[in-house]
Amino acid sequence: MSTVPPSLELIGVVGVTPYLVVSAILFTLGVFGIFVNRKNVITILMSIELMLLAVSINFVAFSVQLGNLQGQVFSLFVLTVAAAEAAIGLAILLSYYRIRATIAVEDVSSLKG
Amino acid sequence: MKSSDLLLLMPEIILAVGAMVALMVGVFTKGVLSARLTLTVSLAVMVLALVALWSSGQNQLVLDPFNGLLRLDGFGLYVKSLCLIGGAMALLMGWQWLERESLGRFEIPVLVVIAILGMWLMADAHNLLSLYVGLELQSLCLFVLAAINRDHRESSEAGLKYFLLGALSSGLLLYGASLIYGATGSLGFTEIAAAVKGMGAASLSLGLLMGMVLVISGLAFKISAVPFHMWTPDVYQGSPTPVTGFFAVAPKVAAMAPLVRLLVGPFAEMQESWQQIIILMAVASMVLGAFAAITQNSIKRLLAYSSIANMGYGLIGLAVGTVDGIAGLLLYLSIYAVMTVGAFGVILLLRRGGTSLDRLSDLAGLSKHHPKTAFALAVFMFSMAGIPPLAGFFGKYFIFLSAIDAGFYVLAVVGVLSSVVAAYYYLRIVKIIYFDEARSSFEAPGRIQSWVVGVAVVLIVGYFLLPNGLINQTRAAAAPLFKTEAE
Amino acid sequence: MILATIAFYFFAAICVASAVLVVTLRNPVHSVLFLILAFFNAAGLFVLLGAEFIAMTLVVVYVGAVAVLFLFVVMMLNIDKVGMKEGFQKYLPIGGIVCAILLAELILAGFGIRAAAGEAAGAASGAVVPPASTLTNTEQLGMVLYTDYFILFQSAGMILLVAMIGAITLTLRHHPRVKRQNVGDQVARDSKSTVRLVKVKSGEGVKP
Repeated sequence: MSTVPPSLELIGVVGVTPYLVVSAILFTLGVFGIFVNRKNVITILMSIELMLLAVSINFVAFSVQLGNLQGQVFSLFVLTVAAAEAAIGLAILLSYYRIRATIAVEDVSSLKG
Repeated sequence: MKSSDLLLLMPEIILAVGAMVALMVGVFTKGVLSARLTLTVSLAVMVLALVALWSSGQNQLVLDPFNGLLRLDGFGLYVKSLCLIGGAMALLMGWQWLERESLGRFEIPVLVVIAILGMWLMADAHNLLSLYVGLELQSLCLFVLAAINRDHRESSEAGLKYFLLGALSSGLLLYGASLIYGATGSLGFTEIAAAVKGMGAASLSLGLLMGMVLVISGLAFKISAVPFHMWTPDVYQGSPTPVTGFFAVAPKVAAMAPLVRLLVGPFAEMQESWQQIIILMAVASMVLGAFAAITQNSIKRLLAYSSIANMGYGLIGLAVGTVDGIAGLLLYLSIYAVMTVGAFGVILLLRRGGTSLDRLSDLAGLSKHHPKTAFALAVFMFSMAGIPPLAGFFGKYFIFLSAIDAGFYVLAVVGVLSSVVAAYYYLRIVKIIYFDEARSSFEAPGRIQSWVVGVAVVLIVGYFLLPNGLINQTRAAAAPLFKTEAE
Repeated sequence: MILATIAFYFFAAICVASAVLVVTLRNPVHSVLFLILAFFNAAGLFVLLGAEFIAMTLVVVYVGAVAVLFLFVVMMLNIDKVGMKEGFQKYLPIGGIVCAILLAELILAGFGIRAAAGEAAGAASGAVVPPASTLTNTEQLGMVLYTDYFILFQSAGMILLVAMIGAITLTLRHHPRVKRQNVGDQVARDSKSTVRLVKVKSGEGVKP
């Protein structure tokens, strides 16, 4: 890269690593949320959104550090897909709720071998 | 981007535009014929796209259009054809079943076409971003298809489970992609390969390794390799049977493609690291697939475990990582696709009194009432068990041969042993259909289903007459992966 | 400069804290609200990184659309809040251990990359060369998104189409008893087809 984006001055202060740590924490919280919220699919969907947010932070931080735009473009696509995913997830949840009158995945047990 | 690049993507454009045309047809026509008209348009679009694909000459060249976002070569052509034909067959023979269950909705063909478009994008992806976009385009269609029977408890559950685990897996894949991007500074496979080569095998960063592992996990979920297989039996059982048939063929083939491209392309230098992972997954899938299937009573669950085991055999070819290995993988996937389409064609015929049957015991006496169907199912089961001279034997033979050639004796031995175990439950099905007490007869089979099953039987039985044609095809398809890497 | 550091820790702390609350709170409505807070602060982090466009998109798309969609669904479903956290205690130990390991690995991976990224940054010659830095972040993104990433931009459109088809397929139900407005029929009505002149003889009433 020949030109240094002005933002590099900003991350020069804390560096890129703290952003990666924040992202790692958010991602882990997302996974944790999926693990423990067996009774509540809506919170699981929110946990998935948290994971995608963590990934976005990672991409943008690397993008700024590396000085190329690919990471930021990727995080734009992640945003788009996340919105589509939320729509589909909530639609499936709605049709599930209509039949089962519950949103607990732990009860998903009529499928068994 | 050059505007001539768009011409190269003509088959994809046909699929995309065709899907939208089919959608409009479905929305603006009324009545019973609406869905059938949409189905016809969708199938016509698929045929048109296949013709465009085969006349594009993609197997002759290696092109990187759109700034290297995509890679058009023989490997992609092979995988794309397989996905499209498998998907079209599943849709074609499943339609009568769907109509009988009053599920003949016009959205299904449209979603299948768009899912195939996503698979094509995955097969051609030469950049982590295009891989992700293709993967999501495919997965979102599959989530909806799994839950399409919205008045049915099992279907909704299958959709929800598939969605939650699918979203988790694409989260893992994304995090891995971001780590790879951070470590190598690029998303394109070519640039990643250069960066990995530049680092040297000794000084690989932990971040890159971790990224690779996460991406492999995300893709392993899609091909349902152990330990990412938990969703498979439930989703197979809960989804409507034609949708299950579609799941069993097209998405697995499509997800294998980027896995192969990534591992023998950018990560070729790190073979020692990923080989262990793939070997572990292959062994675990074969063993678990073989043993877990024994206790199943549901046909669809049994086929789910069978597909897990089959993906394990396929992964052997990837673990070997040579031209022969990848060619063996492609050959195995092709034969697997034919057997699976045929087997699901038979299962779709199993209806009695207006409901579809899913118990193994329901198969009893099939030979009495429908000798032809029984024969077809027996052929598929013998072939899956790997009994010569049926095609399934050759698929396994070439995979094991490539493993032995490359010195992976243990892998080949585990493969043979687990296929002996698996033979038990395939042969048990044959025993049930021929020797168990007959029950009342089944509904009359549809013409299209009979045709598809018949063609599959001919292919499986007749394969040994001309084995070299397909083998040469797969070799030619696998070759470009290694050629460009050497340059 | 010190201001930027303070701002970073401020945003990061609130973001992480609200993420914790998202996954642990009992009431889904509160979870959604804290999700919104987390997104706002993440947008702050993006601004600090100089990615203003993504920051703004995050606020518009997530807070404006996704979070509202969540809220809408939470309100729509009649959820029993009492049983909501039943499995929580049961899965807490195993989930906590797995996640602690995962966190340690991800942070280690992050540190590993920082060491390697210095060299990679010099060697990186991506397919996308960002335009001169006199342009704003939004302009730079705009210049690559519709040219270099044209094909993926279109594919993202297909993804949104699938989301639309999927949501409608799964949730739209035509109830036969519900009367719907048909604009075409309404416009096509004229006096001839609707108004009838009837001569009523006295004492007999109108026969339909």
